Amino acid sequence: MNVVRLIRATARLELELLARDRLFVALTVLAAVSFIAMVSLFGLTGSRAPMALVDEDHSPDAQRFVRALEQAHHSFALRPMSAAEASAQVGSGRLVGSITIPAGFGERVRRGDTVPVEVVIDNVDVDLTNDVQRALPAAIVLFGRDAGLPGLRAQVSERDVYVNDTGYVPYLAVSALALDAFVIAGALGAIAVAREWEGRTLKLLRVSPARPGALLAGKLLAAGAVAAAALLAAVLAVVLGYGVRPVAPVAVAGTLLACVVVFACVGAWLGAVLRRTAPVVPLMFGLAMPLYLDSGALEPTRFDGDVIWVIAHATPLYYAVGVLEWAFHGLQVTPEPVLLDLAILVAFAAASVPLAAAALREDG
Amino acid sequence: MRAARAAWAIARMELSVWLRSRWAVLAAVVPPLGMAALVGVLTISVGQQPVALVVQGDGQLALRLGHLIQADREAYLVSVMDRRDAEAALREQRVAAVVVIPADFDQRAATGQAQVVLELNNVDIDVSDDIRRSVARSVAEMDAPQLGLAGELNGPSQGLLLPNPYRVAVAERDLRETNVDFLRYQVVPVLILVVISVATLSAAALTARDFERGTGRLLLMAPARRGTVVAGKLLASVLATAVVLVPLVGVGAAAGVLAPPAAHWPALAVLLAAVTVAAAGVGQLIGVAVRGGRAVTMVGLNAGIVLFFLGGGFTTVAFLPGWLQALAALVPTSYAIAGVRQALFYPDLQGFGLDVGVLLACALVSAGLGAFALGRTLGHRR
Repeated sequence: MNVVRLIRATARLELELLARDRLFVALTVLAAVSFIAMVSLFGLTGSRAPMALVDEDHSPDAQRFVRALEQAHHSFALRPMSAAEASAQVGSGRLVGSITIPAGFGERVRRGDTVPVEVVIDNVDVDLTNDVQRALPAAIVLFGRDAGLPGLRAQVSERDVYVNDTGYVPYLAVSALALDAFVIAGALGAIAVAREWEGRTLKLLRVSPARPGALLAGKLLAAGAVAAAALLAAVLAVVLGYGVRPVAPVAVAGTLLACVVVFACVGAWLGAVLRRTAPVVPLMFGLAMPLYLDSGALEPTRFDGDVIWVIAHATPLYYAVGVLEWAFHGLQVTPEPVLLDLAILVAFAAASVPLAAAALREDG
Repeated sequence: MRAARAAWAIARMELSVWLRSRWAVLAAVVPPLGMAALVGVLTISVGQQPVALVVQGDGQLALRLGHLIQADREAYLVSVMDRRDAEAALREQRVAAVVVIPADFDQRAATGQAQVVLELNNVDIDVSDDIRRSVARSVAEMDAPQLGLAGELNGPSQGLLLPNPYRVAVAERDLRETNVDFLRYQVVPVLILVVISVATLSAAALTARDFERGTGRLLLMAPARRGTVVAGKLLASVLATAVVLVPLVGVGAAAGVLAPPAAHWPALAVLLAAVTVAAAGVGQLIGVAVRGGRAVTMVGLNAGIVLFFLGGGFTTVAFLPGWLQALAALVPTSYAIAGVRQALFYPDLQGFGLDVGVLLACALVSAGLGAFALGRTLGHRR
């Protein structure tokens, strides 16, 4: 039997089966895409803590201090208001805290006094509280420098590795694409295989003269095509929704295609192990969560210490995030060269194909 | 009494069916466990940043600044290195930044010209700004000791004000008395995800199963009233959730992760029960609406993700933009997560009444709707 025709026929059959399961496919895609939106919620709290600003002085020095607060490393989103409003809004949890510049601030600063600025913090979130506590001295340093106060002995001179900082949400959204590929391609690959056990059609496949590798290729081709289309929707959400323009679009496409191949094969293997379709997506999702964060999704994994970094190398998501962050933002987030990341990703794909084929051949 | 016995019997039977479906149990439990692992890894990422410190100066000020940076363990994971090793560590991403205190630091400080060099891997703004803020604070602390963390908390706010050359000090007052670490703060909401996931998915799966296998009709042929059957099925999901949740809470309490004031345990139990009933009601609705095993699982999973994230499971709702806060206010899980945090981490139950009230109302509505939809659908198929 002609292998190409066999693959094409199997792929067509698989597409028809997926078409009958439209709701399930749509929900799989929805889960993956909504994950990008949900993860970005975390990014929104990474900077610019909403703080009430109560200026009881209105002097030029008070305004200078406000400017310093605004320039202090994306720390504060200042909301000018009265003391009563500030108290009410902080008390009801709508603001992180309040900063009160007392009356007479400018006059006392000019006189050489040290003026305490009252800061109230809703310390419900330790991480955000720490950010505010670190940002206030940073703002005070900026204020002192800008006011040209005497007696300041040192300042920070910064040299950055990259010309521009990358926003946190765009960084997270790009790495979430790797997770999307894992969940979508993995789930569809797993279902394509598990369905044969569930529907008891595996025996028919085995008694047919067709080679299992060709049958699997056809199934995964169809699952991969649907996964690629779904991923395209996620990429468009990142590009259009978050305004992230890839610096290397071809690399983005290549990486995501490699991810689809790898994860569809991993999914096929999982499907052969589970032999049921219902638990596939929850399991893929549950597995994806820790793998996702251990892949450099929030920051380069190397920053998290040796143990986490070494473990990260076992998952293709690490290499995928490495290539995707480079392809979208021009960032090097793995110590390994991007080309090596890409090569390992391809090696994962090559290794996972026979693994999945072997799983299908095993006695069911 | 007879109705209660019948409902209990149905609940036990449904529970045993669910417990025998190993994959259904796994599907309900694995996503929350994965989320717990995710949050655990997250705490490593958002805490201290690895920084190389190169102290080239040997003057008093250079050494003092070096000491200040090393002592700030809340902000940095400092490795003291020479310049060459530090550059290599930055290149190999073993550190996120190199802080260099130059050889002429003290001499230049005498004329107000000293510079601390910060070489920063500004790969994303969150990591970069954390380090920038921390280094600025260390530099400020050199001339103004009260600008350190201890000074902010215990200086001017306690009536102790030391003059400093920046002429501004911070009198910090924290709104709450808490010393909850970030891991506990973030992991605890996963309890709510466990409840949502198990209650919703078990109710949805057990309901869908009746449609798929036609066993709903057999239940209706039993002498029990339709309301009793539906209540029994709802109770089964509540029991399924308890089977998973009670050991988790027990282990958490034994390990000291869950350690609320003793008087808060009943309040916590009421809150978790309300969330369980509400989620089980939603599960019945999903089961009636979707009816297919796989699709039911997917709808339940999607609902769980959205409810958990929008409810503040991964963040703090109060600090999101206004429109998202307004949206979160419509999501019952935001009340559940706020209530759990209040009960576990704070000495009082301020605002807890509202949280539980909303959740009880949601439980009544969703359980009522779920029961109505299931009862009506089964009745139609009779």
